[in-house]
Amino acid sequence: MKRNSPPAFACWLLESVVPAPYREAMLGDLIEEYALRAESASSPNVMRWFWSQACRSVPPMVWSSLGSRDWLISMSIAMGVYIVLEVLEYGAHLAVSRLVRPQPLTYVLLAPVQFLAGSSIAGCVAARIRRGATIFLALMVMITVAISIALKVCTTPVPWWYEFGFLALGPLSVLLTPAVFWGAHPAAEGSAR
Amino acid sequence: MKRGELLGSLEHIILLALARLDESAHGMIVRREIEERIGRNLSIGAVYATLERLEAKGYVSSFTGEPTPERGGRAKRRFRVEAAGKRGLAVSDETFRGMTAGLSRWERI
Repeated sequence: MKRNSPPAFACWLLESVVPAPYREAMLGDLIEEYALRAESASSPNVMRWFWSQACRSVPPMVWSSLGSRDWLISMSIAMGVYIVLEVLEYGAHLAVSRLVRPQPLTYVLLAPVQFLAGSSIAGCVAARIRRGATIFLALMVMITVAISIALKVCTTPVPWWYEFGFLALGPLSVLLTPAVFWGAHPAAEGSAR
Repeated sequence: MKRGELLGSLEHIILLALARLDESAHGMIVRREIEERIGRNLSIGAVYATLERLEAKGYVSSFTGEPTPERGGRAKRRFRVEAAGKRGLAVSDETFRGMTAGLSRWERI
């Protein structure tokens, strides 16, 4: 990362939550200020300032977009992508059980791979359609995993961190994978709303 | 501004900051002006969310400038106070002056 290039994930996060009319202007302001501060302050301080601005900007921006219909469209897209993801995961589950007839241990090992791959792909698809949808998709994944843990869906005895790994890594993979792919080149996704 | 409708505290501060600045200013300049004047470190998101609200009420207007390389190719959005915003400020100031007039004890709090 160049000295005066701001953290890509923070930019990605903001681009996902800031309503379209102000997205470019707000990100541009932050990037400009970041470059100015980077000339006089140490890199960790400037980085901390940027992250602080990004994190503190999320709640007012989310609140602001609730007033428009933006969030409704984003949520509908996230819902659609989530349904497709669930159907595909179910298909993958059936295929795996027929092909390898796995033992419970095989499932325990395969489930995270299948889950993380599915979440990552779904995150990329949602982000490609509409960036704001990834936040809702991450929330849906988190809620579903939390419900599964509460209902003890997994009957195989597993350590606590195994289930909580799903809870943390599922939403993160939804958010991070598209950020890694396109976060460094946000301008390439000019049509993103 | 409708009669009886007062500006929120952040709306008031941001309108005052815009009024203090030149003909037009972008969000980060407004944020910096507030930090320098009253020491309140607002997030840029809070500034833009408030500016958006003020624009919806017709108190400010905005226009987009040219994109510049130092902003990662992103354009500035400049805001200026409209006549309705100036009226809103006047009504709010008048209200506060009216309510604080004669409150000598209030100064000692």
